[in-house]
Amino acid sequence: MKLNTRASLSTVALTVGAVLRRRGITAVLTGGACASLHTGGAYVSNDADFVVRGAVRQAALDSALGELGFERQGDRYVHPRVSFYVEFPPGPLAIGSDLDIHPVEVDRGAGPALVLSPTDSCRDRLAAFYHWRDRQSLRLAVSIARAQPVDFKVIEKWSRAEGSLEAYAEFLRELTRPKRTRVRRV
Amino acid sequence: MAVKTVSSPFGGKARTRALVALALLGSSFPRELSRLLTAPVSAISRALYGLERDALVAGRLVGRTRVFMLNPAYFAKRELQVYLARLADADTELLAHVESLRRRPRRSGKPL
Repeated sequence: MKLNTRASLSTVALTVGAVLRRRGITAVLTGGACASLHTGGAYVSNDADFVVRGAVRQAALDSALGELGFERQGDRYVHPRVSFYVEFPPGPLAIGSDLDIHPVEVDRGAGPALVLSPTDSCRDRLAAFYHWRDRQSLRLAVSIARAQPVDFKVIEKWSRAEGSLEAYAEFLRELTRPKRTRVRRV
Repeated sequence: MAVKTVSSPFGGKARTRALVALALLGSSFPRELSRLLTAPVSAISRALYGLERDALVAGRLVGRTRVFMLNPAYFAKRELQVYLARLADADTELLAHVESLRRRPRRSGKPL
């Protein structure tokens, strides 16, 4: 499949994920690109982060990404016609201290790709809010929970384990707050 | 092979000592760590960027300075902190340096 300048972040991420899966590389889409996927593009990141499970040689990654026209520049893969780049942050696949992560398969035409579930993607963004007080991540976690079914029991239990129940309560408050709409000047 | 007098379980002396220092200080920046560990800033910066790529530390820009801390989102943060605290117990020289460092605030304009 050829990628072009008009390809959305989700399209790029899922196409890369599908090629990796077809090559037998277990790589899970995480971070902002995964959140973008679950919110229908409400947030656009600059990169697609994949966490690889198991040992993979760099040559195998080079070859898989090369199939789509990506070239490695240092520790990231760039494409001449795509504005997003692909990175492989170091594993293991974890959300805070939780290592028991069960990715889900998504197929939107390019083949099945592994991504974080909406619940885990929501937790992934909440982790940034809990640890860095990053309110952009909080807003994104709220967007995911509004757009997708998420398991609040799982999120609450994990928040307790992270010692962040107060921040979880803030997340719930944001979730029940009416959506902010931009006021148009006339 | 060079004689090794100090254990460096995190790959190199600068990496290990920078991690131990961050565990003791909470957060720091290359120049402060360089003074504390009496090592060149370039060596400390290299060590910190390597540790950042391994997700053990996280850095953020404060003004023009990149401030580092142990990565709070690292999956084994608690275990890492316990281990680093134990390593700190054994590094009496580093402990003494850290204890001599003034980090509490000083009101603007107050004479030194």
